[in-house]
Amino acid sequence: MAADGGIGLAARRWPEAGESRIPNWIYTDPDIFAREQERIFQGPNWLYLCLEAEIPNPGDFTRSRLGTREVVVVRGADGQVHVLVNSCAHRGMQFCHTNRGTVKEFTCPYHQWTYALDGQLLGVPFRRGLRGNGGMPADFHPEAHGLRQLAVAARHGVVFASFAQPNETIEDYLGPTILPLFDRTFDGRELKVLGYQRQRLPGNWKLYQENNRDPYHASLLHVFLVTFGLFRLDQKSATEMDGTGRHAALVNQRGEQKLNDATAQMRAFKQDLRLADPRLIDPVREYPGEATVVIQSLWPNLIVQQQSNGLAMRQIVPLDANNFDLVWTHFGYADDPPEMTERRLRQANLFGPAGYVSVDDGEAMLLSQAGFAAAEDGECVVEMGGREIASTPHTVTETAVRGFYRHYRTVMGL
Amino acid sequence: MIAAAHGVDAPPELRSRLADLYAAYDDALGEGDYERWPEFFTETCLYKIIPRESYELGLPLGLMQAESRAMLVDRVAALRKTTLFAPRLVRRLVSSIVLRAAASNGMRLTASFALFQTMLNEPSQVFLCGRLYDRVVDDGGTLRFAERICVTDATLVPTSLVFPI
Repeated sequence: MAADGGIGLAARRWPEAGESRIPNWIYTDPDIFAREQERIFQGPNWLYLCLEAEIPNPGDFTRSRLGTREVVVVRGADGQVHVLVNSCAHRGMQFCHTNRGTVKEFTCPYHQWTYALDGQLLGVPFRRGLRGNGGMPADFHPEAHGLRQLAVAARHGVVFASFAQPNETIEDYLGPTILPLFDRTFDGRELKVLGYQRQRLPGNWKLYQENNRDPYHASLLHVFLVTFGLFRLDQKSATEMDGTGRHAALVNQRGEQKLNDATAQMRAFKQDLRLADPRLIDPVREYPGEATVVIQSLWPNLIVQQQSNGLAMRQIVPLDANNFDLVWTHFGYADDPPEMTERRLRQANLFGPAGYVSVDDGEAMLLSQAGFAAAEDGECVVEMGGREIASTPHTVTETAVRGFYRHYRTVMGL
Repeated sequence: MIAAAHGVDAPPELRSRLADLYAAYDDALGEGDYERWPEFFTETCLYKIIPRESYELGLPLGLMQAESRAMLVDRVAALRKTTLFAPRLVRRLVSSIVLRAAASNGMRLTASFALFQTMLNEPSQVFLCGRLYDRVVDDGGTLRFAERICVTDATLVPTSLVFPI
């Protein structure tokens, strides 16, 4: 059955040309969205939820979302992280309605069913009835009525979960190409949250995964990246992908504000642009190696940003085919000296809903979605760098977008 | 009009100067004259827009932050010359300005704000609302903001925050 506005998945055909074409209906069809929720966001994938630094002590909890479904992430009395579906086992009520806090147990406000931090049902008021009347049946077993608990994985302070138990560890899931890049930022040091930003973007969630795998736009659209050499395709760079194409990383090495054969082709390059307060972009090297930027796009809901000293988790939360929330958790390391924290805070002006770079992307989501609505039967052309799908020692390519869709088609059966 | 909290000495002339400052600020932004915006701040000002969630948690990072008038100049230059955004108008209403305290390092004021956004060919909508926490100083005979912290009630921004508050 087609949902309102869809023609039914059976009628959908991916273009013959393969991943060098993207049909516009994948961004607008509610049936596609429903299948994505089922196979991707509730499927056997490790989805990012939060940082362990947000729930350091037993009883600390925070809310998070896997696609359209809300969960509570809580540290148990034994220090283990539990992920509980935010819906009471009795009548389905959202039992946790604050974003974070510390509790000894969870009590649903409706009928006061009480749960332990691991989701086990502890108490049901009037379970034995009152003065011989009512109560739960004799065969009611509390152990059979706990909160739904998800599979959890954590690596170096980053928490992932899954509705369906993935058959691979988080390390195998990230794979040998991406794992070292992940560990470069998450090297085991304790993390420190600097602030949250949330924005609701009127676009399909996949646009954001594409955006972060597309270095072509970065060198054309973003004046700040291009002008100040923060990310540019003429600089030493690479596009890294895992074997499936589901994860990708763009790597770049900072360059200069200098006119050359490449910057001459970039309208966004402004040779005369000077900052009145240059402290905004005053990065210092903090990781080994030459790369100054590594943007990891992890299947399906996370972008890990390391742009100079600006570090952030960008969580993608789809709402429907036409809208998603982007949740930014900016962080540093617990052992950062004060001047490094200041530097991260200044550089954060580049990112988020008001970011010198990120506003461009947010608006690009809006305008892309408006364009798809005008041409639902159209298709995108993704041929920069040819039609192949492979890691490349440069970023003059859309190969990582093609890689995303190769994996996407397999999972979605399209 | 500027009200004063109980026990705060606020002679009419001072209230009038403060009212002029707030009115001139709103007038500049209301006319879209963002080039005048940095001049309402001291050279070493702190300007921040931060969601209430982070503000109450004591987290330092907001949506926009500047530690100098020069950084505000950069913000204006970016929105004029470098940022891609769909056409829109943002209207600001500031109300209930209260002088809460006057000390040697400046006057503390609070106010409420509401922002309405109008995208091209769309109806006007409430965009953000919240509270202003200001510190105003006499900067060589001119009242200026040494600090303006805009705390938004919503944790969520609809699409993008292009213009300052």
